[in-house]
Formats: sequence, structure tokens, C-alpha cells
Amino acid sequence: MGKRISRASSDTVWLAVLLMPALLLPVALILMPALCTFVNGCMQDVTFMPRRWAGLANYARLVQDPALFHSLRFTLLFIAVSVPLELACGLLLALLMQVQSPLRGMLRALVLIPWAIPAAIAGRVWELIYSYNWGPANYLVKLTGAPAVNWLGSSTGAFLAIVIADLWKTVPFVAIILLAGLSAIPEHLYRQAEVDGASFIRRFVAITLPLLRPVMIVAILFRTIDALRIFDLIYILTSGGPGGATSSLSLLGYTYFVGGDFGYGSAISTLIFLIALLVALLVVRIGRFGSSMR
Amino acid sequence: MFVLSTAGERRLQRLLYAAGFCGALFFLLAPVIFMLLTALSQRPDFLGNNYVMTTRHFREILTTPSLHFVRYCINSLAISIASAGITTIIASGGAYVATRFPFKGRTAVLLMILSLSMFPQICIAGYLYRIIAAAGMVNTWLGLILPYIAWIMPLTFWILISYFSQIPQELDRAAFIDGCSPLRTLVTIVFPLAAPGLFSTLLLAFIFTFNEFMFALILTNDHAARTVPVGIALFQGLHGELPWGVIMAASVITTLPVILMALLFQRHIMQGLTRGAIKG
Repeated sequence: MGKRISRASSDTVWLAVLLMPALLLPVALILMPALCTFVNGCMQDVTFMPRRWAGLANYARLVQDPALFHSLRFTLLFIAVSVPLELACGLLLALLMQVQSPLRGMLRALVLIPWAIPAAIAGRVWELIYSYNWGPANYLVKLTGAPAVNWLGSSTGAFLAIVIADLWKTVPFVAIILLAGLSAIPEHLYRQAEVDGASFIRRFVAITLPLLRPVMIVAILFRTIDALRIFDLIYILTSGGPGGATSSLSLLGYTYFVGGDFGYGSAISTLIFLIALLVALLVVRIGRFGSSMR
Repeated sequence: MFVLSTAGERRLQRLLYAAGFCGALFFLLAPVIFMLLTALSQRPDFLGNNYVMTTRHFREILTTPSLHFVRYCINSLAISIASAGITTIIASGGAYVATRFPFKGRTAVLLMILSLSMFPQICIAGYLYRIIAAAGMVNTWLGLILPYIAWIMPLTFWILISYFSQIPQELDRAAFIDGCSPLRTLVTIVFPLAAPGLFSTLLLAFIFTFNEFMFALILTNDHAARTVPVGIALFQGLHGELPWGVIMAASVITTLPVILMALLFQRHIMQGLTRGAIKG
């Protein structure tokens, strides 16, 4: 009996010794700063001025701020355009990677390259690609006979430029996730359908898409939250320009932090967090709802 | 896998596959090839002009002290290796007890860790800067290593849990009965069995920290601790015009090891990624 108790209590000690270090830094350097930021959203906190409670003043300012409205619209539009495109291209790429072929291994290796390159470097490369006078993007455009596009200097051009560069960087990730989902679909389902005379497209719609649904939802969740906080690529490609047209919410928050207005920057960050939370709950909810219908 | 019935369908699929493969190859590789071509070109505007090859951009980036590129590389490597290594070690202990000892609030702890990885970085950055500044660690290696450990811990933890839960518990129970402590069991029994999983986790943690941008941008001010992505992002020309050849040479040098790692350890990385995502 005594032995048993000492074993149980030593288990507790081990639990603490091995688990605590894993929790310590994330709590101290992720959770704490985040909570402080949320509280700070209700503070007047500007460099060289005493910090004081401001209630909802920052949020009142948020609601009336045209720059914030712009940022919010850009970010939501970016999500609405890029996430569906990422999913479509990612699915195509995943299907390609699944086909039995001598080239399969090569494709599966190469797909990791855009994913593995630092976003900052990808941003620099795409900045060069979009160069107005001699970038390859306009070189291709001019080959088709169309006039050169002012990629980074016009608001539509910059939006497209960011979407395309982001696609290049993120489609591989989506494809890898979807490939795992595709590989989990039992092959005998396809054989059965083939025996029943179902066509290529019919098999895709009736078997692949529904069985891929849970993985799709994971991919949508990850990509939406990631697109919501997009920063690196925009910081390098346009710095939010021209005239704030491509300033994402994260970039706007960053400019206030750097500019010394911590209170307002915190309010914007809190807004981003709340949207992320809402998106997560919504995606999970829709996902569950769909599967309970089946 | 599609099983195709008619010869017509089969031919159509082969054609589609060829077209898709070429398209995918172009999409994935064209920017990287362009980066390499620019780095090796005398001038950046070589499209439609003569291509004159040179290695001078590579020599310039590696030998010009005022560019600090070599220093950025050392910073990046040291910071990423330290963060990835320490995180994997610490997380493996935590993930081990989380898979082996059912305790009160286990689900709550796991969910909290998972939700930490969902926090947008901008929500952390402002106060993280204040904490690191208060500790006097801005612009030091440690000032980036500690946040990085915190930042990749949730993902690392989560991937390791999925690997560890696949190892039969009977093995370490046998070790317990022989009187091994949990730590010793972890090191002598679980580590060897989970070696491929640990390696995948380490690789992913390295790539994530090596590529991280926002924290590195905020927490460093010069070459003492600045990492390569920030260094390349903030590259300014000495004479106004951006030195594209030099920037691309730096990008090639930085990307090369990452690409090599991706090609060599493709299976490990893919496995780690899908585990991290799908279990999450």
C-alpha cells in the first residue's frame, strides 16, 4: 500500500517536472503578452505620456477610423479571394501528386520548395518579378500583346500581385494536407464505382469530394486564420501601399506599435484576435453541422 | 486513386496529367529559377537582352563587411538550431507524460496549448517586445531564442503527441516494472522508437524558426542579432537603386540549404506537416 502511494506521488512529480517546462515559456511569452495586449486595448498608452485607463475610447476610435475600415475590407477581400483559390489549386496539385507515375516522387519533393522558402525571401523574389520595366510578369503580359501592368503601384495590381505571390507560397501546404486526405480514401470504393460504370468525373464528385470534406475543413481553417494575419509578404511587396490600399490588419497594427501608439495598436490586435476566434468557431461549427447531416 | 476504365479515358488522363505536371512544375519552380538567373546575371534586366553571366554578386555579398550577410547567416543558424533543439527536447518530455499519464485537466491543457498556436502574431508582438526589452535582451540571440521556443512549442508538442501515442505503452510499462524512472524510460525506450518522429519535428521546428519574420523584425535592430529574412527584407542599396543581383545572391545562398533539406527529407517533412495539421 505504502509503495503504491509513493509511486502515485512520484508520478505527480514527474508529471510536473516534464510537463511544466513545456508550458512555462508559451504561457510567459505567448499567453501573457496576448492577454496584456487585450487589456491594453482599453488603455491610453502612447510613448512619452502616462499610461491610463481609457475604457472603450480606442474602440470608439476604431469604429470611425477610415484606415481601419480600409484595412478590414482589404483583409476580408484577400481572404475571400485567396482561400478558395488556394483550395482549388491545392486540390489540383494534390490530385497530380497522387497519380501513380515515375514523376510522382519528383513532384512531391519539389512541392516543398515554395513552402520551405522564407516568406521574406519569397516576397523579395516576387517584388522583382513584378518590376514594372523588366520583371518577368510584365514580360509575359507584353508577350500576349497587352499593355504592361503596374503591379505594385496600382491598387488592383497590388491586390492581384499579393494574391498570386501568396498562392505560390501557400498552395503547396494545402496540397500536402489534401494529399494526406486523398491517400486515406480506401481504393476499393473507386473500384466498386468503376464496376458500377461511374465515370471519372462522377467518381470524383461522389467519392473524392465528400470523403475529403473533413480535411478540407482543416485546410480552410488553417488558411483562413493565416490569411487573416498576413504580414511578411505585404510588408515586403507593398508596405501596405499604394496609399494604404493593401494594408492588412496586421500591418496596420504593426504601424501603430512602431509609431508608439500601443493602446490603439492593441485595440486593432484584439480585433484581429476576435475575428480569428469567430472564424475558428464558424468553420468548426459548419464542419460539424455538415457531417451530422450525412 | 482513380481507376480508369476505357482506353479513351486513359488517354485523356495521360494528357491531362502531362499538362498538369508541366503547369505545376512551371508554377512551383519559375520564381526560384528566376531568382537564380538574376543572382548570376550581370544586370537584372536580362529578359529580352543579352544574358551575361557573373559570380560577382555572390562574391560581393559574401565579402563586403558592411552588408553583414555572413553575420546574419550565423545569427539565423544559431538561433534556429538552438530554438528547434531546445523546443524538441522540452516538448518531448511534456508530450510523453501527456500521452502516458492520464491526469485531471489533461484535455484542458492540450486544448490550451493548441489554441496558443492559433494566436495571431501581432497580438503577441507588442508586449513581447516590452517583456524582452525589460529583460534587456533586445537585439541578442537569447532575446529571439526564448520567444521562438515559446512560439513553436505548441506545434512541436502537438506533433510529438501524435508520434508518441503510436508507440505501444506495454514497452514503457515493462520498463517501469523494472524500476526505470519516466525520464529514463523516455530516453532509453521511447526516444529510439520515436527517432524518425523526433527528427521530423526537429526539421519542422528549424524551418519555422529560420523563416520567422515578425518577431525577428521587432526584436532586433542591427547585425548583432538580425536574422537572414529580416536582413534581406531590409536590404537597402548603397546608392539608392536596389542591388537586385546582390539581394538575389543572398536569397539563393539562404534558400539553398532549405531546399536541400526539403528535397532530402521530403518524407519526414510531409509526415510532420500532415500530423501537425490533421491532428490539430
